[in-house]
Amino acid sequence: MIRRFLIGAGAAAAFVGASDAQTLLVDNGRLHLMTGPDYADVLAEGDVLIRDGKIAEVAAQIAPPDGAEVIDAEGMIVTPGFIAAWSQLGLVEIGLDKEANDASVSGPFALSAALDARDAFNPASTLIPVNRAAGITRALSAPTPGEKMFGGQAIFVSLTGEPTSITHAGAAQYVTLGYGGASRAGDTRMGAWASLRAHLEEARAYALDPSGYVGRTIDLSRFSIRDLEALGPVIDGEQLLIASVHGASDIRTLIRFKQEEGVNVAILGGDEAWAVADDLAEAEIPVILDPMSNLPGNFRRLGATLQNAARLDAAGVTIAFQPPSTHNLRLLPQSAGNAVANGLPYEAALAGLTIGAAKALGLDADFGSIETGKVADLVLWPGDPLELSARPAAVIIDGAPRSLENRATRLRDRYRDLDRTDLPLAYPAPQQ
Amino acid sequence: MGCDALRDLTLGKQAAAEEEAGEEVTAAPSRLADAEPSSGAAFGDPPPEDPYPSTYEPYPSGVTALVGATIYDGAGSAIEDGAVVMRDGLIAAAGARGDVAIPGDAAVIEVDGKFITPGIIDIHSHLGNYPSPGTASTSDGNEATSPNTAGVWTEHSVWPQDPGFTRAIAGGVTTLQVLPGSANLFGGRSVILKNVPSRSVQGMKFPGAPYGLKMACGENPKRVYGDKGGPATRMGSFEGYREGWIEAAAYRDKWAAYEEKLEQWEAEGDKSKDKPTPPTRDLKLETLAAALAGDIIVNMHCYRADEMLQVIDMAQEFGYRVTTFHHAVEAYKIADVLAENGICAAIWADWWGFKLEAYDAVRENAALVHAQPGGCAIIHSDDPRGIQRLNQETAKAMADGLAMGLDIPPETAIQWITLHPARAMGIAEKTGTLEAGKMADVVVWSGDPFSVYSRAERVYVDGALMFDRNDPAFRARTDFELGQQVEDEAGGSGR
Repeated sequence: MIRRFLIGAGAAAAFVGASDAQTLLVDNGRLHLMTGPDYADVLAEGDVLIRDGKIAEVAAQIAPPDGAEVIDAEGMIVTPGFIAAWSQLGLVEIGLDKEANDASVSGPFALSAALDARDAFNPASTLIPVNRAAGITRALSAPTPGEKMFGGQAIFVSLTGEPTSITHAGAAQYVTLGYGGASRAGDTRMGAWASLRAHLEEARAYALDPSGYVGRTIDLSRFSIRDLEALGPVIDGEQLLIASVHGASDIRTLIRFKQEEGVNVAILGGDEAWAVADDLAEAEIPVILDPMSNLPGNFRRLGATLQNAARLDAAGVTIAFQPPSTHNLRLLPQSAGNAVANGLPYEAALAGLTIGAAKALGLDADFGSIETGKVADLVLWPGDPLELSARPAAVIIDGAPRSLENRATRLRDRYRDLDRTDLPLAYPAPQQ
Repeated sequence: MGCDALRDLTLGKQAAAEEEAGEEVTAAPSRLADAEPSSGAAFGDPPPEDPYPSTYEPYPSGVTALVGATIYDGAGSAIEDGAVVMRDGLIAAAGARGDVAIPGDAAVIEVDGKFITPGIIDIHSHLGNYPSPGTASTSDGNEATSPNTAGVWTEHSVWPQDPGFTRAIAGGVTTLQVLPGSANLFGGRSVILKNVPSRSVQGMKFPGAPYGLKMACGENPKRVYGDKGGPATRMGSFEGYREGWIEAAAYRDKWAAYEEKLEQWEAEGDKSKDKPTPPTRDLKLETLAAALAGDIIVNMHCYRADEMLQVIDMAQEFGYRVTTFHHAVEAYKIADVLAENGICAAIWADWWGFKLEAYDAVRENAALVHAQPGGCAIIHSDDPRGIQRLNQETAKAMADGLAMGLDIPPETAIQWITLHPARAMGIAEKTGTLEAGKMADVVVWSGDPFSVYSRAERVYVDGALMFDRNDPAFRARTDFELGQQVEDEAGGSGR
């Protein structure tokens, strides 16, 4: 027997905890597959069959298998779940509240690269359902630097809000360069690069002979063994090193650094990346950029322009979008829409939210497109997902529709009618 | 992260950096030739009416007719296939094409398929006092040296060369209020500007606009002064406000008594009697007394509903009026009380969580404020990026209202960034709608202003074209950005 569900917040809420649902058919949607040349493949009326959390089949017409739940997507746009290639999700609840913000160390603290987001990630954070309701299904969650230049090890998480949401530990290491690096290294960019190279050199020495390294008589105060250990996967080129940098000159140094050190890097920020676009494409360095950054915030951002995304894409650079804040990962589609308004092709903008973000993080084998074998993260949109009025009708993560309710919608519902009632608003509303 | 929050966090560091830098204080620039001389008030005289007067003059404009667009006129109407006629810097007429006489001498511009709105107004900006580049050298928004700095005027901080102004006009912003930051209980005076490049801030000042007073509730003053002598608590903050108002009332009465004595002395005409001596001027109390008198508009930064309700009581205690609560993340919880008291809520569409007092944000905040009879919603930026897209912020807030079943047509929502801020800033007689006789502050949008894909194409300030996306001759570039290597490919309006 086939059960058919209406789409809507209430219907989706009914699915909570339904992640055991083995088989799901998304029926008759307009599928943006994010495959093919320029990611432009669209199945105008297509079905997606989901089994055990993975996409089992994508075709124009799929007969619902026995026992499958069917989601009617007629008239809807279906995209892969949107991916935030950068965030502090699960690490920050309240920005200015020290107890509710684990995103970075403050004050003098011995460790940096060794910090691991996995140890602090809180899947119960209210930011998760708020952003999930806007179609964000996956995020990189990265610690940010304190007094030292490394933030620590990032994780890649789903937005299910479940204890199992960490799918990839050690997904990336983060280092701040540009003036962020300089201000932690003698107030000069030379200091930042010298410090970064020294760390990698020491990490190599440590990796070659850990017990011998510890026994050496050199001054160890500059390097923590734990940090050097954590940098092991970076020097091996196995772990992505995300470097925040804006200026074209800094980016040229980063390209040289990548060649010299053989590490795998991505840029966070990159306001002037467009000026080095061809070199970045050749060096295969992706850029996680903020397409609305157009102010000369400092002297290495004088070239910030709304054209950045369009120019990088035209040069063949893989781009993803940097969200305005972790609380508002939900504004990523608005960022993408603004990139389109400033010359980025529509499909490239969608890619920046999906397959481009997955590629930038090296996770495109499993995420970012609607293809057989990939993880079944899908979003159903009643209209253009990049439009300001876009709000998902359904969000599917790991093959199961997820609740679109959150703390903000609960507050809205509590205060939508301010008339005095028999009990204060703090009590549950009487059943209608 | 919210700007106020961010600034306050970095405040201490910047101040320290400034001290350490030990930079020579550069001489103040001499008065510009085009500035009017002041009234020459001497120490001890009554405060001059307008010692830093506006020297703004509209740029030349001919007679222009924009024909064929959909108009959201800011007065609440949507007009299909409309026409707007501008003459002598003013709106001559706006309405349906058939109802508007196009003068024979008008330059007629066909704008079929496009949209026209009044110039966008931002009631909360820090352009100029927290400009780009954001360095210790340019950080001039918070006089965080005392919880009561009502005596500072933020126009003395505004750098007219802030590149942010040129980006804002590409977002259709023709008028903005620059406010001091929120570190202090009493932050000082705001200034209202026309968004037109000028050598001086006086050359941008909106002619005849009243001053605003910036006040701040909640976390910021506590955080900044908690270990600098207080206030360290919200109750300490209220003590500080109330003491300020008590002093201001005494100052007001002292001046009133003097003026009465002077009048009497003049009426008696007996010059052998000593002329009454005026009280010594106090810049702080001058501003606060003017706020008590209603001559300066009170803008109160306040996130939490319960605090706003306390502030409303305080305003009644001292007989002044709060015009707008800024940031007002919890306005939806007390939307009824705000409407009953005629107080506007100036808010973001969706910023939240950067501090605890911003934790209870809902995306429907503006819509719920608006839904109350007489409710006054305003969308503000407080941000040099947000100010470029107030139309988009409004679009999101409108969409969430529609999604919960509220009736908010676009011609109404546009008032959240035109008429409502104009009223709350005391300039609605002059701008904020396309009604005949108002300043011709007009934006032509490439499409529906509430679509992410639309952009301001042409922006008129007092009838003069100040931005044209399709014509590089109408894209302003500040001194700071001139001659930079990237000049041909970045920087300036609309880039």
